[in-house]
Amino acid sequence: MDEHASAQAAARGDRGDSAAWAQVGRVARGGQLTARRIAALIWGLCLVIALAALALLAIGPGRVLPSDVFSGVGGMSFLVLAMTFASVGVLVARRVPESRIGWIFLLTGLANCVQLLTWQYADVGLHATDLLPGASAAAVFNSVISEATAGLLGLSLLLFPDGRLPSRRWRPALASLFVGMALLVLTGTIRPGRYAEPFAQVSNPFGVSGARGVIDGVDFAGWLFVIAGIGLGAAAMVVRLRRARGIERQQLELVLVVGSVAATVAALVMATWLVWPTGHLQMRIALLGLCFASVPLAAGVGILRYRLYEIDLVVNRTLVYVALTVILAAAFAVTVVLLGTLLGRGSGWATAAATLVVAVAFRPLRARLQDVVDRRFNRARYDALRRVANFLEDLRAGRATPEEVEPVLREVLSDPRLELLFFLPESELYVDARGVPVSDIPDDGRERIPVERGGQPLGVVLHDPATQDNPILLRRVVEAGGLAIEIARLHVALRRQLAEVEASRARIVAAGNEERRRLERDLHDGAQQRLVSIGLALRHAQHELSTSSPERARHTLDGALAEVALSIDELRELAHGLPPAQLDAGLGPALRELARRVPARVEVKAPGERFDRGVETAAYFIACEGLTNAVKHADATRIVLSAGRENGKLVVSVSDDGAGGATPTPGSGLSGLADRVAAYGGSLRIESDRGAGTTLVAELPCGS
Amino acid sequence: MRVVIAEDQVLLREGLGRLFEDAGDEVVASLGSADGLLAAIAEHDPDLVVLDIRMPPTFTDEGARAAREVKQAHPELGVLVLSQHIETTHAVELVALGGFGYLLKDRVLAVGEFLASAERVAEGGSALDPKVVASLVSARGEDHQLAELTERECEVLQLMAEGLTNAGIAKRLYLSERTIEAHVRHVLTKLDLPVSEDGHRRVLAVLAHLSATQEPLR
Repeated sequence: MDEHASAQAAARGDRGDSAAWAQVGRVARGGQLTARRIAALIWGLCLVIALAALALLAIGPGRVLPSDVFSGVGGMSFLVLAMTFASVGVLVARRVPESRIGWIFLLTGLANCVQLLTWQYADVGLHATDLLPGASAAAVFNSVISEATAGLLGLSLLLFPDGRLPSRRWRPALASLFVGMALLVLTGTIRPGRYAEPFAQVSNPFGVSGARGVIDGVDFAGWLFVIAGIGLGAAAMVVRLRRARGIERQQLELVLVVGSVAATVAALVMATWLVWPTGHLQMRIALLGLCFASVPLAAGVGILRYRLYEIDLVVNRTLVYVALTVILAAAFAVTVVLLGTLLGRGSGWATAAATLVVAVAFRPLRARLQDVVDRRFNRARYDALRRVANFLEDLRAGRATPEEVEPVLREVLSDPRLELLFFLPESELYVDARGVPVSDIPDDGRERIPVERGGQPLGVVLHDPATQDNPILLRRVVEAGGLAIEIARLHVALRRQLAEVEASRARIVAAGNEERRRLERDLHDGAQQRLVSIGLALRHAQHELSTSSPERARHTLDGALAEVALSIDELRELAHGLPPAQLDAGLGPALRELARRVPARVEVKAPGERFDRGVETAAYFIACEGLTNAVKHADATRIVLSAGRENGKLVVSVSDDGAGGATPTPGSGLSGLADRVAAYGGSLRIESDRGAGTTLVAELPCGS
Repeated sequence: MRVVIAEDQVLLREGLGRLFEDAGDEVVASLGSADGLLAAIAEHDPDLVVLDIRMPPTFTDEGARAAREVKQAHPELGVLVLSQHIETTHAVELVALGGFGYLLKDRVLAVGEFLASAERVAEGGSALDPKVVASLVSARGEDHQLAELTERECEVLQLMAEGLTNAGIAKRLYLSERTIEAHVRHVLTKLDLPVSEDGHRRVLAVLAHLSATQEPLR
């Protein structure tokens, strides 16, 4: 998905960006493989440079100057910073070669590495040993680029996180950065005279003497441009944050929070220069370097979406503990100062009391701060999770039903279109809260969030991504509601089964009633009427005999006899729908008798074994229905009818070579059959692919 | 007596026709369904219509509906409905209209009684099948008033419900009309029914009493 989104971004073209980045873009489009290789190459170069710089750092200049800021731990920390940029850069560039941000990070890392290497080379070469050739040249090169590398920071800010400007209107910011960096390189190149410590013994060979004032002015202007660019970069981040939704918002939030903390710490560290201009200089520089390194690290985490869901929590906790530290430190200081004034300076009591205050205040303050941070920075999540927790509490106490989980989710996520569908594993169906199956989930732009518990799929939440820009919140809420969803799912599944049983029972009763009605009507309209008319004929014959026309009476009696014969036929027809007398001899003979009446070749495989009479009757009717279907609907020519005991069940199967495609629609013979089988606690399976014939298998429990 | 027959089964229709003709009545029209019944009545001006309760096309209650229509158009005309089964509510409702008969089909085999019922209906009396009456009486098993009746009085009550006149009851029970009159008076008094004339109002009152636990007469 990352790659897809980035590819889309790349496809939109390089509007508003400079030609230099178009070049990188072309390389990327030229082949991701090449791009990845180039990225790895640059990173390898950085590593080699960094290792060389580290080696020089280990040798050291052999003397200590206050201006040796990049020696010792200070230099090491800045090497870490440079390598952080390069490493994040290579990871991002290899994962998403289309995104320029990875390349910018790589370049920033490379520039810093080169800057540090030239510094160490010049430092060692000028002060510790004469073995390094070109130490002066290194000092010159370092002076040319060192100021300009600061501008690269602004570039990262402007283009984070997708490697493009927020809009065309931001082009001047980019221009300002490039102009500033160019001016700084220029002044670094032509500033005349000796360099500042520790390279004071080298003077600039390219220096343009006599123009010192102008060059200082240009340098100042260059810094102004760069600072403006960095300021605009920060502004761009804020603008992006306002517009951003979802993942991008989290990326920006993360970098902004980490950046703010880093900036605060950096500002504090720099402030120490005002108090103690000297001493522990390298330590302070080291602290600065590590501080800055946290920013590209955060950016990398954001871009690569590495465990981004947990970041929310990390940010939250960071805010809480930073604030806690500040407040407790202030409380400690105030207590010490106040009590110190009262009890006299250096009183152990003051320190003890301050410690006590801090200890006592810690827990309640932490809880309070957590609450404040939650409310202020994550109001939605705070409210949502509280609401879900309350609902679960209500559920446990029986004040709420698990089915209410859907409305609760709707309310909490403020998505009125949100739908919760439950997954029923036995039927592999998605159903809604009323148990109505949803055959195909509408593809209407709603996001599908699967709900799982213990690795078992419970269902899916359909949610409109436009209403909620916080995927973590969404996930957390859905996770929190998991228990309720599981219970609701069980309810729904149970209700469906009950409804199915009830419907099946109702159908059986209805089928029975229908059968009775048919029998009753057949008897009333057929046999009974015939008997009445026979009776009438006999009465008439009686009348004829008494009125001297015996010839006509004989005629009437003949008619009555013919009626009697018809009645007998009719009654035999009626009895047809009842369990056949052949079953008296067993299922096998009955099935063979049945097969003889079917106008198709039927192969019967049935054992001589006897089963319970009810089960035999059910099996007989299943065979009847199966044969009828095969002959009537499937145009089958060959049918195999088999019945036999398998694993304590009587398995009846009818398979034909007909048209296939049979489905049990309500009211159809197949559906009635399924009910009949279900009534005996059995199961019916129909395999009927179109054109592949139909196989009907019924399993009836038949005891041992 | 001029008779119109509507019966879908040919054999039964012919048998019925012969039955009426053997008795000297005139069958003026024989129909296979309820269609055209009103036209046939208008044409032949019969004294009695005999129809099957179940006829085409749906074989449910075409006959009953046709009977109501005939009654509405010709209130004075006798209508005799023949049914295959006992259907109390329907039957009592129809009989309460007066000049109406509801008999099971097999009653035709008792030719004498059948013809007597037919004649009674044609004259504006009523005829309710004994089995229907029996089911009405048995439905009132808990009735203390019925329990007070003697066996003979109970017989008389049932024959009254069937629509028989005092003369008819006397003939059926081989008793004198005078004795029957006394029984009838006792029955009506015991059941708190108005001692009215021998006629349709008496039948109505008796039926109303008997079917009180069932749906009221409409």
